Amino acid sequence: MSVAIHIENVVKRFGKDTVINGLSLDVKPGEFFTLLGPSGCGKTTLLRMIIGFNSIEGGQIKIDGKVINDIPTNKRNMGMVFQNYAIFPHMSVKDNIAFGLKNRKVPKNEIEPRVDEILKIVKIDHLKNRMPQKLSGGQQQRIALARAIVIHPEVLLMDEPLSNLDAKLRTEMRNAIKQIQQQVGITTVYVTHDQEEALAVSDRIAVMNGGVIQQIDTPKNIYQRPANTFVSTFIGLSNIIDGVLESNEKGQAVVKIGNYKFSMNNIKKDCSANCPVKVSVRPEEFIINQKTEEGIPVIVKNSVFLGVSTHYFVETKEGQEIEVIQNSDLEEIIPNGKKIYLKVQVQKVNVFSEDGSKNLIDRGIRP
Amino acid sequence: MKSGQKKWNMWLVLAIVILALFLIFVVYPIGLILYKSVLMEDGTISFAYFAKFFSKKFYWSTLINSFKVTIASTLVSAVLGLIMAYVLRSIKIKGSKYLNIFIVISYLSPPFIGAYAWVQLLGRNGVITRILNSMFHAQLGGIYGFSGIVLVFSLQSFPLVYMYISGALKNLDNSLNEAAESLGCSVVQRVWRVIVPLVTPTLLASSLLVFMRVFSDFGTPMLIGEGYKTFPVLLYSQFMGEVSTDDHYAAALCVIVIAITLVLFFLQKFIGNRLTYSMSALKPMEAQKTTGIRNILAHAFVYLVVLIAILPQITVITTSFLETKGASYTGNFTFENYKNILMPKNISTITNTYLFGLTAILLVVILGVLISYLTVRKKSFLTSILDTLTMFPYIIPGSVLGISFLYAFNKKPLLLSGTAIIVIISLCIRRMPYTIRSSTAIIGQISPSIEEAAISLGATERKSFIRITVPMMMAGVLSGAIMSWITVISELSSSIILYTSKTQTLTVAIYTEVIRSNFGNAAAYSTILTITSILSLLLFFKISGNNDISV
Repeated sequence: MSVAIHIENVVKRFGKDTVINGLSLDVKPGEFFTLLGPSGCGKTTLLRMIIGFNSIEGGQIKIDGKVINDIPTNKRNMGMVFQNYAIFPHMSVKDNIAFGLKNRKVPKNEIEPRVDEILKIVKIDHLKNRMPQKLSGGQQQRIALARAIVIHPEVLLMDEPLSNLDAKLRTEMRNAIKQIQQQVGITTVYVTHDQEEALAVSDRIAVMNGGVIQQIDTPKNIYQRPANTFVSTFIGLSNIIDGVLESNEKGQAVVKIGNYKFSMNNIKKDCSANCPVKVSVRPEEFIINQKTEEGIPVIVKNSVFLGVSTHYFVETKEGQEIEVIQNSDLEEIIPNGKKIYLKVQVQKVNVFSEDGSKNLIDRGIRP
Repeated sequence: MKSGQKKWNMWLVLAIVILALFLIFVVYPIGLILYKSVLMEDGTISFAYFAKFFSKKFYWSTLINSFKVTIASTLVSAVLGLIMAYVLRSIKIKGSKYLNIFIVISYLSPPFIGAYAWVQLLGRNGVITRILNSMFHAQLGGIYGFSGIVLVFSLQSFPLVYMYISGALKNLDNSLNEAAESLGCSVVQRVWRVIVPLVTPTLLASSLLVFMRVFSDFGTPMLIGEGYKTFPVLLYSQFMGEVSTDDHYAAALCVIVIAITLVLFFLQKFIGNRLTYSMSALKPMEAQKTTGIRNILAHAFVYLVVLIAILPQITVITTSFLETKGASYTGNFTFENYKNILMPKNISTITNTYLFGLTAILLVVILGVLISYLTVRKKSFLTSILDTLTMFPYIIPGSVLGISFLYAFNKKPLLLSGTAIIVIISLCIRRMPYTIRSSTAIIGQISPSIEEAAISLGATERKSFIRITVPMMMAGVLSGAIMSWITVISELSSSIILYTSKTQTLTVAIYTEVIRSNFGNAAAYSTILTITSILSLLLFFKISGNNDISV
């Protein structure tokens, strides 16, 4: 029942501006697929090409194998949830949801039960006859969702649907969305700039920047094995530190940061000796060493105690600022100005080529 | 996208049709005026008519007079409107809701009715003049000329400034006031250094509206000006005068008026743009309850101003029930005046007013909504032309539009003079810029994604326009339409030029009855007009659900 979406080499131009130049990706049937990127990266543009509000200047988009480039939006059979919900303010909740069914000439006696069913799924059946204007953001969001899926669309598209909600409601609604999506089993393309939201709801994520896809992968891989430095810094926090990649006498890859050396067994062997690399270390991947002099020498500049964790802002002797997160323990917080050594959790760090465009970690090898 | 193109064509055709209408009914007549103003009788082109105007003091002094009365009345209106708005927004005044309605009514009645009412009160033979004369054994000549005109215009126009400023003050966050106060500003300083600068753009915009209205009004100086001749009076008499009429000279005068209003319009835009602040109040100013002398003074001031402003209406309604003998009153109560105007078989004056007004409003609303939709949502070269063109009537005074219509449509194939159509179209055109502006604002508040949602749910573009956009605009458009309706039925300056005995409307009838000194009939007609306005206003309040008015 669920359909696949194939996007092949699509091009989008606004006037002379080429926003997307030959982008391809596949969404699997029933998948919750997220387009994630900073604002202006082209994710909404791509979504609007799928629904048909933006024309397609090159390439093609196929739904279930059928090219839809020239099908007008109102014939595409896609449901869309808008950033501002776009609830029709002059219609009751029921009429809002029935709007699409009426356009599809669904027989009158079928409309009512279908509306009721969907209202139950999104858990707002008690609001059926209310006017939407007095309802809360979360409730309006549920109406928008119900209205989009009641028409049994082949594809559900969501454009930053949670960005107008407050933080608590956002978490609640993203769980609801995920659950409803699984329940209905509909192929979904979701656009957001919020990485935490993307990680929470998606089966797979496409990270976009400047109209180009940086990486398509599962949330876990995106976070743990980012494809390049853009992804590693955009998704979560990463400290990017200059290093050198060499081999030791056993032929093992060794990463050298200053005088700090550690060997890695999951590096792709396309670099022979002494090539400069970028080492990407997340704040929680550091081990603070105060006992010996092993590690990157740094001075503590500032610290913030946040209960669960303690954040240290430290500086290397080259002047690079590094953020370190440690689980809070009972020991004293390290005072400002103190010199400490930072070691890394070798199996977790990522090593990128010097220009940051390529991850040198071989994911085939389990460390 | 083939089918997409087909739908765009529907809007394209509409844009072209509307553009054609505006070319015929705005560009062509105004172009003709421009042409006529430089066309000599022998067929040559020259600026002789303009030279004629500026060479004779008899002519150019009217322009000076116009500027004098206009500047004076605009200043008085601005100051009065500003003070009234601030007092009513900051101090709790008892019955302010009704005061508001009275202020609006005093504004909505045609200025020349105010002129004629003030003549009844303060004229040579006026009630108040006679009382004063007998009390002080004086021989006051009554209020005519410059002071009379300024009095009428100021009282008539300050409500406009008041409404605009009042609206702006509502968007002014009270914390600005409180911040100023905490920084050691006294009340007067606060008004002068914080409030006034922030409402200056609004003050300018509304003052310009007052200026244009006063500058082009000819009814008032005609009735109360006596020897004090202003430019519109000259224009009217050159065009309609019994002694000598000169079409080309009148055309030249029209061009002079358009030039002046055009300059003013751009001046206001230029200044307004540099001073605009966008504000939205989280915590609007609240009218505070005051006590003691300040409270008494505020109440006395507000009530006095409103009383004086509404006095013409009271006079007119009262005199409509007084028996007349020639031009004077016997002092007896009577329904005779109403019998005179309602009993004859032909009451077309009244039916015309309603018929023309309603038809014009219907057309204005439909066209206004379509034009604003085109210019906001279907941006293209064509619609941007439409955008500019449809705002053009804003700067064309009614009398100029009337004259240009008579020039343009007095021969076949566009023989419209003397018909109801020409009156209706002129009303439409005059009101169009206001309707478009308010519709544009309404559409601007509707997110485009609402329509996209409808389309994604399978609706066609036309269906989403009719089922979603139009109903969402309706409340705003409807209340705008009622305000338009009230202004349309009070319109005199183009109707007085276009009317024939068959197409006479209430305002025209009032004017002609006043000229003929049939004050009883004039009062009865005016009362009908006033009551219609009041009822419409009440309907407006009911529909819009608030007391904020923008005209």
